[in-house]
Amino acid sequence: MSTFLITVGVGLVTAAILALSAIAFTLEYAVSRVANFAHGELLTIGAYAAYTGQNYFHQNVAAAALIAAAAGMLAGLALNTSVIEQFRGRSPATVLIATLGVSLIVQNVLTMIYGAADVSYSFAQGGLHHVGPFLWTTSDIEVILSAVGVCGLIYLLLQHTRLGKAIRAVSQDRALAQVSGIPARRVVMQTWGLAGAVSGFAGFMLADTLGTFGPTLGFGFLLLTITAAVAGGLGRPYPTLGGALLVGLVIQIGGAYTSSAYQNVYAFLLLVALMLLRPNGLFVHSARAVRA
Amino acid sequence: MTAALLEIEHLSKSFGGVHAVQDCTFMVPEGHVIGLIGPNGAGKSTVVDLVSGFGRPDAGSVRLAGQQLIGKRPDTISRLGLIRTFQTPREWRNLTVLDNILLAQCRFRRESLRESLLRARRIRREEDADRAVAQAILDRFQLGDLAGERAVRLSGGQKRLLEFARIAAAEPRLVILDEPMGGVNPVLGVRIGEAVRGFADEGRTVLIVEHNLPFIERTCDQVVVMDLGEVIAQGPFSSLRDNARVVDAYLGMDLGHE
Amino acid sequence: MYWVSVFTEAGIFAILALGLDMVWGWCGDFDLAFYGYLALGSYMTMVLTIGRPTPPVEYIIGGRLPYPLALVLADVAVVALAAVIGAIALRNLREIYFAVTTLGAVSALYVWVENYTPLFDGYNGVYGLINPGQTLLRLTYDGYRVGFLGAVLVVLLLAYLLAQRLSRSPFGRMVRSVREDERASAAYGRPVFFVKYRAYLVGAAFAGLAGGLFAVFISAFNPSAWTPQELLLIYAAILVGGRGNPRGVILGTFVVYVGFIELTRYLPSPASRPDFGPALRQVLIGLLIILMLKFRPEGILPERAGGRQPRRPAPGQAPGLAAGPPAEPAGAVAGAGPASADLADQEGGPQ
Repeated sequence: MSTFLITVGVGLVTAAILALSAIAFTLEYAVSRVANFAHGELLTIGAYAAYTGQNYFHQNVAAAALIAAAAGMLAGLALNTSVIEQFRGRSPATVLIATLGVSLIVQNVLTMIYGAADVSYSFAQGGLHHVGPFLWTTSDIEVILSAVGVCGLIYLLLQHTRLGKAIRAVSQDRALAQVSGIPARRVVMQTWGLAGAVSGFAGFMLADTLGTFGPTLGFGFLLLTITAAVAGGLGRPYPTLGGALLVGLVIQIGGAYTSSAYQNVYAFLLLVALMLLRPNGLFVHSARAVRA
Repeated sequence: MTAALLEIEHLSKSFGGVHAVQDCTFMVPEGHVIGLIGPNGAGKSTVVDLVSGFGRPDAGSVRLAGQQLIGKRPDTISRLGLIRTFQTPREWRNLTVLDNILLAQCRFRRESLRESLLRARRIRREEDADRAVAQAILDRFQLGDLAGERAVRLSGGQKRLLEFARIAAAEPRLVILDEPMGGVNPVLGVRIGEAVRGFADEGRTVLIVEHNLPFIERTCDQVVVMDLGEVIAQGPFSSLRDNARVVDAYLGMDLGHE
Repeated sequence: MYWVSVFTEAGIFAILALGLDMVWGWCGDFDLAFYGYLALGSYMTMVLTIGRPTPPVEYIIGGRLPYPLALVLADVAVVALAAVIGAIALRNLREIYFAVTTLGAVSALYVWVENYTPLFDGYNGVYGLINPGQTLLRLTYDGYRVGFLGAVLVVLLLAYLLAQRLSRSPFGRMVRSVREDERASAAYGRPVFFVKYRAYLVGAAFAGLAGGLFAVFISAFNPSAWTPQELLLIYAAILVGGRGNPRGVILGTFVVYVGFIELTRYLPSPASRPDFGPALRQVLIGLLIILMLKFRPEGILPERAGGRQPRRPAPGQAPGLAAGPPAEPAGAVAGAGPASADLADQEGGPQ
């Protein structure tokens, strides 16, 4: 029983990272109606930025995380301006393919800069702690706490700030929001910056948890992210948290009993089940829009 | 008494607590042109969707020439002889106007893999014959010169006419038109009215959902009135003015003239 | 001999592209599983021809069938796989869900093949299909490779004729109508799911065939050769050459594969970084995809849906136009806006 709970603990760490990635993905989808297949690359960029920066900041994890978030934010803004907005009005499939093109470009630019071989951080993981039935390293605890914190901040942003309201309006109906006086294009841009920052941060945590990583870090995480987002019902950030929890637990528990390499298999099976049974998300009655 | 081609009985559909259609019952006699009118939100378009298979009712039955339609897919229902239009013209945009008609001729047998692969030569001959018929239909609707154009390049009015040309090509038993007069100018409106009467003269049955009451008065033999999901009246157009419920439903809208 | 190799590979990918175009060009569905079909075609062809494995190598079947028979059986296996994946993915026809499902399916399969060694020996892959029939035909190694190029081109020609015939047929017209507007197609009696399903299986058959040929070409196949990125190259080829046009697809494959690969072969790679050159090539492919999508989504040879052109040319068009594909660029529609004529954009589908 205790090994099961330890696995659950691992699943919670995965779910925490996944929650951030999925919320960012959902925000991107909500404001731009785009399935961003280059989303994983936002994570990868964050991870590599922290890698480059780690030597300048003397193993300061917080600084590395900030660099990752900043890099992610810049990447998100660049992606939005150079591709997403350029393809506005085109069919979702077209934009999807374009984002795949971006994914290809980013992965290979990173390969050109850093090489294809895996790299790793030199941060200490910290000792193991017993937290209730779970067994976590210091890093793990930091991951979970910061994920909860960031999700909380996002909640506050969406609910209680003007920007949050604007984001919700734009995600419901961009034209209508524009006509009502909201600077839609700027709001979209800011959302992508936010999503990028969150993704970059998530990428750093993911890389830190995995130990070693390469240019395909984020792309490998894309399927899990999308599954979590689908489970939440695309475009709804709060149920997405539930989706992330579900996916994180399922893949870790499944992986523990067979092999951790099979995570993608479980993610796929879960995705199929979701799409056959609950295509609008697990917790929704009707689709769309960033809701309260 | 003409036989009923379409029989709708106790049709009901709710969307999350809103009763879009409630215990809706009416019939459409064969060979007639029937109007389905009512204020916005009356449930008319929902009825059309349910009848044509683009939605499942919560209760009720729909029979076309005695055959139950509930539970069948839209393409299955279509093959039973029902063609419907949508509120906005839905042409096959990147295909040519002529292709739009050829498709509407519904030569299903030719579209199977086996036929298309193995009997290509014979199909080409049969298609030449159909092509001539298709061109004639286009000429009839004054779209003949546009046969080679991609359908998306047509003007709004031309797209409406293309819809009617497609219906003519399909030779259906029952035609359901969903707001055919939406955004249509009076000249085009006359041509549409002529097309509808043309269908009736060929023995087809037509059900028209419309807001444009003068058009309904001109074109239809009978009218069914819906309000808030229910049928509140059925009969000749002239009888409606005296029907208090109908007048009420339209809140004093002028039922008579343009 | 180098050129023999380049053209052979291009020819094989052209067959794959013809199949993928049926799903993407004709049907409008963006599939990410197709490279998996090529992979399975390769794997199955090999395990049906190279005989029993000698431990510690392991894989299934291990038959010693003649190569052409193995090709056919491998293709059957691929179509069976496509039947399963297609049945799941095509059910939910919202565009991105299809892409996501196929990505998920192929990712899951990839993981399974990589880790479950009894299947195809995991990471090591299967190898050993060296020039089947070479001794029988009494050819030298080089002679065989040239002959194989000839065989691939013959198969490509046959595949092209089949694809072209289907494309110009009522079937091809029907498939495209479903792409253009699913609701209208259903309203005119077309069973949308089954239409797409059929096209999907035919396309997968092409991919499996390409896989069988690919197995001879490289004589080995392992999971590292099998990523979604490989498929993007084929998409780039289809985009460049002409989506929905079999001739265009073949043209695009040769242009992109031969031309592009050759041009970038001479890109510099610092000695310490052998990955640099190939990575730069991928970057350029990504850029090509984005630029083509943005500025010329219909490709070099735009699509011509079903049958001959009507006898009467439309007024105001250049005289030669009735005989060929419409010359106007896809975006040039009077009062365009959301009603774009771009093949890449259709808002059909369940609303």
